[in-house]
Amino acid sequence: MSVAGLPLHPFFTPRDLPETLDLLAGRAARGEKTVLLAGGTDWFVERHVAPPETAGTLPLVVDVSRLDGLGGISLDGHTLDGDEPGGDTLHADTLRIGGAVTYLELRRDARVAARCPLLAAMARDVGALQIQARGTLAGNLASGSPAADGVSALAALDATLLLRSVRGARRVPLAGFYTGYRKSVLAPDELIEAVEIALPPAGAPYVWRKVGTRQAQAISKVALAGVAVVEDGRCTRLGLGMASVAPTVAFLPATRALGLSRPLAGIAPGEIEATVLADVSPIDDIRSTAAYRRHVAVALVTGFCEELKRR
Amino acid sequence: MAPSVGKSVPRVDGPAKAAGSARYVDDLVLPGMLHGATVRSDVARGRLLGVDLDPAFDWSGITVVTAEDVPVNSVPIIETDQPVLARDEIRHAYEPVALLACEDRLRLEKALRHVALRVEPLPPVLTIDDALAAREVIRPPDNVSKRYLITKGKGGTAGPGVVDGCEVVVRGVYESGAQEHVYIEPNGMIAFWDEEGAHVEGSLQCPYYVQKGIKGVFGLPDDGVDVTQAVTGGGFGGKEEYPTILALHALLLAKKSGRPVKLVYGRQEDVEASTKRHPSRVEIATGCDRDGTLRAVSIRVLFDGGAYVTLTPVVLSRGALHACGAYRWEDVHVEALAVATNTPPNGAFRGFGAPQTIWAIERHLDRIARTLGLDPMELRRKNLLRLGDTTATGQTLKESVGVEECVEKAIAASGFVEKRARGPVVTGRLARGIGAAVFLHGAGFTGSGEKYLKGKIAVDLLPGERALVRTASTEMGQGTETVFRQIVADALGIAVDAVDFAVPSTKNVPDSGPTVASRTVMVVGSIAERAATELRARVGQEATARGLSRSEAWERLAADPARATALVQYEPPPGVVWDDATYSGDAYPAYGWACDIAEVEVDLDTFETKVTGFWAAVDVGRVMNPTLCAGQVEGGTLQAIGWALTEKLVTRDGKILNPRMTNYIVPTSLDAPPFTTILVEAPYSRGPGGAKGVGELPMDGGAPAVAAAIEHATGLVLDRVPLLPEDLFEASLKGDAR
Repeated sequence: MSVAGLPLHPFFTPRDLPETLDLLAGRAARGEKTVLLAGGTDWFVERHVAPPETAGTLPLVVDVSRLDGLGGISLDGHTLDGDEPGGDTLHADTLRIGGAVTYLELRRDARVAARCPLLAAMARDVGALQIQARGTLAGNLASGSPAADGVSALAALDATLLLRSVRGARRVPLAGFYTGYRKSVLAPDELIEAVEIALPPAGAPYVWRKVGTRQAQAISKVALAGVAVVEDGRCTRLGLGMASVAPTVAFLPATRALGLSRPLAGIAPGEIEATVLADVSPIDDIRSTAAYRRHVAVALVTGFCEELKRR
Repeated sequence: MAPSVGKSVPRVDGPAKAAGSARYVDDLVLPGMLHGATVRSDVARGRLLGVDLDPAFDWSGITVVTAEDVPVNSVPIIETDQPVLARDEIRHAYEPVALLACEDRLRLEKALRHVALRVEPLPPVLTIDDALAAREVIRPPDNVSKRYLITKGKGGTAGPGVVDGCEVVVRGVYESGAQEHVYIEPNGMIAFWDEEGAHVEGSLQCPYYVQKGIKGVFGLPDDGVDVTQAVTGGGFGGKEEYPTILALHALLLAKKSGRPVKLVYGRQEDVEASTKRHPSRVEIATGCDRDGTLRAVSIRVLFDGGAYVTLTPVVLSRGALHACGAYRWEDVHVEALAVATNTPPNGAFRGFGAPQTIWAIERHLDRIARTLGLDPMELRRKNLLRLGDTTATGQTLKESVGVEECVEKAIAASGFVEKRARGPVVTGRLARGIGAAVFLHGAGFTGSGEKYLKGKIAVDLLPGERALVRTASTEMGQGTETVFRQIVADALGIAVDAVDFAVPSTKNVPDSGPTVASRTVMVVGSIAERAATELRARVGQEATARGLSRSEAWERLAADPARATALVQYEPPPGVVWDDATYSGDAYPAYGWACDIAEVEVDLDTFETKVTGFWAAVDVGRVMNPTLCAGQVEGGTLQAIGWALTEKLVTRDGKILNPRMTNYIVPTSLDAPPFTTILVEAPYSRGPGGAKGVGELPMDGGAPAVAAAIEHATGLVLDRVPLLPEDLFEASLKGDAR
């Protein structure tokens, strides 16, 4: 079915964030399904393959792409609301990205380019320009695909998600967000308001390597995001995120622990291979094979570690 | 008037397509029109016991067509084995069984889910090996649907043993997978009936093929069937035979409902149900001297034809005729077989069987070079066909052999010799290598094809010193409209924009033959030139006889229906002799020749291959329009690179698992290498201005050139396309390195 053949969904554009939250709360209380539409780059594709929905059960589609409260990228300029839990722990080098910020905005933002080049590099590799102009980080997070490039980069940056509902706001570390394949702790009345990243120092080494099916318009077979702070040959911070090697984006905890455990020079390639293989559980699918994914996962992490050793 | 041929006249159809004002079939709306949809089987093989409509569903306003409604239930192509709608036998997993039409597309979608097929599944035959094993016979007696034998020299008596006794015998097996066309516009057709008969308009390459199908199924005369080409968004062979099926289906629904019906496939349905390039296996044994002089070749070509015969016999023929490549052989034995399987029928696709066999012979030439320790390009140069040589079918090459010039120019432009000698360049984890392929492609129909076809074209003089070209050769993005205008404008001595191109409709254009086989410019273009030349002479005679100016004479003729038109029929050149019984003689009137050189960078960690440079030197006889000609070369080459590196059709139980553009991976513009295209002109005396064909040639060489470059870079020898990173990885584990 083409987009032209989609059923006519009820569609609503709220005025502002409070109205959106009220709407979500009411519908959640009645058990009604709501789709928050930002870029629509996943949702439309899913409609194409989903069985036709019957008129009575069509979810309400709510356009959140232009809501003030979900836009904007800020560095240090963030004014905290009084009711934000943990707001006082935001340190000076925090990058805050509104949930409806697009990949193209990330690519074009000078602060992101200077202070978080990993995100800019990732954004250049998502889909192609048309997708980048519509797709958003919050959409990527909410879809929960294990192949999500954006989520992989946020995993490496150990991002925190700011979730909001009429009940208030809460901060959830990304590592605690997903509970399984396309499942998360996001409640039916909540939305992803923003993503917060405690930035590494400017110039910190990072890696973004997407191994896709082609140069653009590709879904990752494997993608590695990594960021590190290296002092005197030791990692004092190491973040890794990997796409398409597990039911959710992988954080590679054992590999992170190994990398932080002792001076990099003392870590043998065999150890890295063993921990990466312990951290991933890829499958055969139409895009690739489990064996290839394991091989690439090890090769990419090993390559990043070699680069860190040279610094 | 300065000649336009040889100049890059901008594509006449370009502005409307770029601006979005061109109207494709899905843009057309007829009053009272219904939308059509197809109910398909979902098992690869079975006995159809019944078609059940859910009695709980509201069927009002929905037209249902089944096999009972089809007057003559077989699609006339080469054979008549393919039903328009399955009656009792399911032969592939997307077999059309019933048709629905409804004004409301949403209700139509829902109705599709309320049709149940009662099918008793049978064990399917899914691969060439399954078919040859013949444990299940789906095409009596042995699942082989077509067989050819080509012999030369001792091949006639020695058979496959023709290589025995040669100094060096090299054997290899080469395989290729299916390929989907991925034209931008999926198949679509709109149909209605009136007192004149049947009318269809849609996305198609060959209006008269569609007409033939409709005549056969509905028992109509020529003038009872009107087939019109809508603006067509690409074909690549995929709209050669397949649109007939859509036309028949739309007409069946239109007949039963009494309303116009539009049937447009979505991408997924198009990928699943329409034809693909034939999967292949080619087994080659060659005999040569120790110095690399090729002597004898024995080849067994196996093509998977799919569930129905469609065009498989002619695809197999072209594959067999190209199997020996661009080389001299004294002794030849080529056996070619097509087998039936329970997969959707395979059919026409740019290259038409030649890419599979050129892939095999070019990989094999690299294998011989490796065996002998020779440079692969030296081996090729030593054995290339030259003027005066005879091909595998005994055809003596009398003219227009530009292959050596192609090779020299491609080598010079790419620095092939130096790069090859330097060996793979490894920088960090990236290995760079270079590889080449040399090949030919027969232009026009095989053998006696053009003799039976009798292609025609008409050119009319119009008032105002204008002209109209009427031809069934269609525009589908390749430039027919523009180049035909150039040919006719030059022959008449008028400007290109003074020539119009009639919408191809069986009502108002003569049967020029199908728009296929790289024949449009060489064959139909030549009669376009003759028709226009004849009209120019007519104008001149009229002016002289009546003492008129040229424009006065033109106006008089244009006003006289008896004299305004030149209708010309193609006559094959007298020297072309072909024997269908022995499969020998002049297989093609002329050949395009080419040398492709690919440079690749392989990531030794991820085994991703990036084509970093591509040089194609191509002998097309005469370049009619440099931009369009180079566009054909680059586009065809990129399609070949897709076939070589990413386009893998994944199937399970006869069903396609990746029928969408997100998972059937064609190259994007970022995957396209920088192309250096060198156009070589070794003119063919019977082509307009010396032109031969160019449409298919560039599909033939990309895959073997890329595979050779990967081998040079990594030492991995791979003999099956596509060559995915996963395949390189597996090969590296098996220690397939040189």
